[in-house]
Amino acid sequence: MSMQALNRLVARSIIDPTVLQAFGSGHIGEVLDDLDFSPEMRRALTGLEAESWSEFAIQAYRVVKASERPAVRVELPSPLEGLINEQPGKRSDYGQVA
Amino acid sequence: MNPITREERHWFLRCLAQGLYEYMGAAAPPVPVEGLLKHPPETFADDFGVVDMYSTLWDATFARPPNGQGSVFVRIDLPPAERRHALARELLSALITSRHGRAMGLVKFLMADLRDSAEFFARCLLVPEPLLQAFRTRGGQPEEFAEAFGLPDSAAALRWQETPV
Repeated sequence: MSMQALNRLVARSIIDPTVLQAFGSGHIGEVLDDLDFSPEMRRALTGLEAESWSEFAIQAYRVVKASERPAVRVELPSPLEGLINEQPGKRSDYGQVA
Repeated sequence: MNPITREERHWFLRCLAQGLYEYMGAAAPPVPVEGLLKHPPETFADDFGVVDMYSTLWDATFARPPNGQGSVFVRIDLPPAERRHALARELLSALITSRHGRAMGLVKFLMADLRDSAEFFARCLLVPEPLLQAFRTRGGQPEEFAEAFGLPDSAAALRWQETPV
């Protein structure tokens, strides 16, 4: 969601001068409030220091991209699972031959 | 700040193109890029325009005469698809050199790779992601793509490959 919000913000900035004005006056956080950023992401983006709006956008892109979780993958158990560090006493099906 | 990568630059350009596409509000291709130049957002009232020229030297070029009004000077005899692509490509120069674009810091980020940036921007503007997705959803085929969006075959082939299915 954060990347979509950032895309919308940067797209809006090319035709809406109020975005640039907010950035220039140090109030970009107010613009971010209207978008779908998590509180943590909003704090991270508000704390960015950039000389221009373009630089801010690129830095924000890096922050948002770094925060994105990789695509969910099917995770199969490792073939080694159950063979490493296994304590015989902890196995419920461990039997003892007389 | 670390140097901007090509991927980051393309992401940024895609967003700018998306913003202009949303301003135009085109619901179906072809995107009216010449209409955008003739009726720009207020922010670019002094930066967008189209002037037809007789020229054999170039297809189109952006220039800002001493009166300050920027325009794309375009060859009058270009086929429609090439004209649209040339106008979209030169539009980036209009954005970069505009007052708003300079305030955004576009000069520093985009001038160094202007040719690649302008070509990529033009493809994104003429084929916005939502319209491309809709085209694919309706079962549009690559061979129909250039004509549907009104852009040259070479640009259409690149754009088709750039956006994942």
